Amino acid sequence: MTDLTFLALATVTVASAILALEARDLVYGAAALGITFLGMAGLFFLLDASYVATFQIAVYIGAVVVLILFTVMLVGPQMGEPPMELKRLSLLTALLVSLLLGTAGSLTSATAFPGPDDCGFGCDLIGLSKTLINQYGVPLEFLSLVLAAAVIGALTLAKADRKG
Amino acid sequence: MRKLEPLTSFFAVSVILLGIGIYGLTTKRNALRILFSIELIYNAANLNIIAFARLRDPPIVAGQVLVLFTIALAAMEASVGLAIIMLVSRLNVDIDLRKLTRLKG
Repeated sequence: MTDLTFLALATVTVASAILALEARDLVYGAAALGITFLGMAGLFFLLDASYVATFQIAVYIGAVVVLILFTVMLVGPQMGEPPMELKRLSLLTALLVSLLLGTAGSLTSATAFPGPDDCGFGCDLIGLSKTLINQYGVPLEFLSLVLAAAVIGALTLAKADRKG
Repeated sequence: MRKLEPLTSFFAVSVILLGIGIYGLTTKRNALRILFSIELIYNAANLNIIAFARLRDPPIVAGQVLVLFTIALAAMEASVGLAIIMLVSRLNVDIDLRKLTRLKG
């Protein structure tokens, strides 16, 4: 039942998410984070949300990862994280949590949440844009205001010469 | 017609990503790694919203609209956070959050 595409995408996403946090070099970590975002976009495609997937690629990989890379370069090499010490208590906690999650997951049947195979209007680009403009037009305008405020705030924060 | 993957699998991926994000948030000291973790948690939430919006027949369009808003807000949050990190790295030598004492110039 489990689709091979889904399995590959999920594996890549989870593995690169772990690598993003555990890679020694922050540049590799940022690249792994980009791969995580790419895998997430693939999962969105599988859920028939193709516009959201495109948006994810454009915003996350086009903007966020590039910003993170710039910051990593500007901040410079950091001292590495201290090696993680595994205490017995944390191991026990990890075991208990994974046991709990595994039990819950196996009790839930694989088809407990059957989505409709045919997506129709709900995943249509035309339907999405109509809903976005007709019902959520005002929040969209507010969102652009918030984005402008964030840009101005970031510029003020990172401004080179701080006299005031 | 392509068969839809059971939504439970997507929820599983979402839970795993949320767990990785919380792990990074609680154990890492570097400010950039903590920002990575926040982005991972955002992505887990987005995947959850999209999968639940797909559950109904016909699927709810508002879920996708909500995720579009969330992605834009996450990008905004990342830009402000990275600006703060750059400021901190100018004022302090290190961006280790546990040693960080100065935010004002």
